[in-house]
Amino acid sequence: MPRPRSERSNAFALSSLFTLALAVAGAALAEEPGKWLERMNEALTSRNYDGTFSHWQGGRVEMLRIIHRVQNGAVSERLVSLDGSGREFIRTGSNLACYLPDKRTVLVENRPAQESLLSGFPTINDQSASFYDIKEVAQTRLNRRPTHVITVSPKDEYRYGYRLWIDESTAMPLKTQLCDARGHVIEQVVFASLTLASKIPDSAFKPEVSTEGFQWLRSDATPSKDVAPVDTVVWEALKLPPGFKMAVRKAQTLPGSTDPVDHLVFTDGLASVSVFVEVKVRPQPPSDSPDDAPVDESATVGSSSAFSTVIDGHKVTAVGEVPPATVRFIANSVQAGAVSGGPPPAVGPRH
Amino acid sequence: MNEELDSQLSAMFDNELPAAECELLARRLSRDEQLKARWGRYAVIGATIRAEGGVRLNAPLASRVSAAIASEPALAAEAAPQPRKRIENRWWQPVASAAAVAGVAAGAILWMRTQSSDLTPAVAQTTPVVPAMAALGNIPVSTVAQVNTGEPETYVVPRLPTHRRLVVPSTELANYVVAHSEFSSPVARRNLLSSFMATESGTAGASGGSEEITEDVQDDAKTPQ
Repeated sequence: MPRPRSERSNAFALSSLFTLALAVAGAALAEEPGKWLERMNEALTSRNYDGTFSHWQGGRVEMLRIIHRVQNGAVSERLVSLDGSGREFIRTGSNLACYLPDKRTVLVENRPAQESLLSGFPTINDQSASFYDIKEVAQTRLNRRPTHVITVSPKDEYRYGYRLWIDESTAMPLKTQLCDARGHVIEQVVFASLTLASKIPDSAFKPEVSTEGFQWLRSDATPSKDVAPVDTVVWEALKLPPGFKMAVRKAQTLPGSTDPVDHLVFTDGLASVSVFVEVKVRPQPPSDSPDDAPVDESATVGSSSAFSTVIDGHKVTAVGEVPPATVRFIANSVQAGAVSGGPPPAVGPRH
Repeated sequence: MNEELDSQLSAMFDNELPAAECELLARRLSRDEQLKARWGRYAVIGATIRAEGGVRLNAPLASRVSAAIASEPALAAEAAPQPRKRIENRWWQPVASAAAVAGVAAGAILWMRTQSSDLTPAVAQTTPVVPAMAALGNIPVSTVAQVNTGEPETYVVPRLPTHRRLVVPSTELANYVVAHSEFSSPVARRNLLSSFMATESGTAGASGGSEEITEDVQDDAKTPQ
């Protein structure tokens, strides 16, 4: 039996309204993925939290604990390996300390007070969109909490991608996967517990490890602008992978060393690569050395890559959360530019 | 630690190890440091899950094990958290407030699989390592059968990246890692520092370090042109 016309009209109107609502929601959704990344970065850098997570990489799994606090503008952070090494990384304001019980060593670095961790990380911009596809692929529940699953897929092999499960209410990433250009998972972090506390006491940022008998290697607390020698070679990268640009150039002294290094940072808005150039010229190898050509060296720290080479007698090391080929590309493209009469000009977000 | 021990520990934690073996293992637990560390990690996750209410852990297990480890205060503290201990030891206990707890992730969900009543002891004994590793959030799970279907649960371990291995960072490399991390995105930074913190070193003492950077292990990586 046909329904009365008025009822059908109402049904049509409701249907149209529903379609319109879907369209509006769809449009809003289309803008969301990038926003979720921004909210996530904001949460990770500005919230107080204390969590335990598993870290999987290269067939190994480790449990770690992270504590993060922002109080009166000062960032305190502690990362502890709960397994084997017992290493700890502790930041309190401008002081960074790395406790390495396995090496019976503590690395301590004092940063100039004006340098804030909050402003150092790369930010996604319109240019990044050319090199990554950022999508929301699902809204799901992770351990009963609504999450948005955001994928960041690289468009070439110079960078890695991410798959992120972002908590809807707190924007904290409850699970993250780092993927290579083919989508294979190469690193995963899953929180086993996470507490967002309004207050975290100072005592949470004390190391558990006893440092008795440890060697302490400290860096000079001198502000970076004073570190550079008077006649400074300006190092620059002649060629970079697509999308990478230099964001920061500074001189700094690292713990345990009196010789400064030039620190250049290149970023595509998501991934970043640091290049460290030793200012001091390396001595030539002995004349009886069978091979006096410098040997390039590579290393990995988790899914991050490092590559070291010698250019014009200076050791050049590139480190970044990118594929090995990318750090090699960038390190090999570094060259000494013009000699300036003063310290290198600082560029980037910090100055 | 060998796989058999790990399997036994996992089964014990799931209360699926025969009583006689459980006693033997508990005795060993009291004197094997590596085994204790492993147990401690299970306890961390167990405590979290208990607080979340997602999974009920078996109470008799705790009493059986506590008898064996009572003489080890540090381990006892991990296996049976005491809320009134000093605050440094309370970190694994999530705040009960729902608003304050941001969540327990996939590890807990996967852990629940091991608690299914339909999971027969035979299955648990033939694949005991799997839930333990999954509970640690170890492995991206490609296929997980539904709990309570009565079917054996399966999962697929993704192919490990064979072209990379963890190398021992030198002190020099450590400096570079820490200095670089200041300029990484928050997630990349956490990953990088986590990898560095988790890296076990086979060498003692500080070193100038450049010689510790290993030979290129990424020969298959194509240099971009």
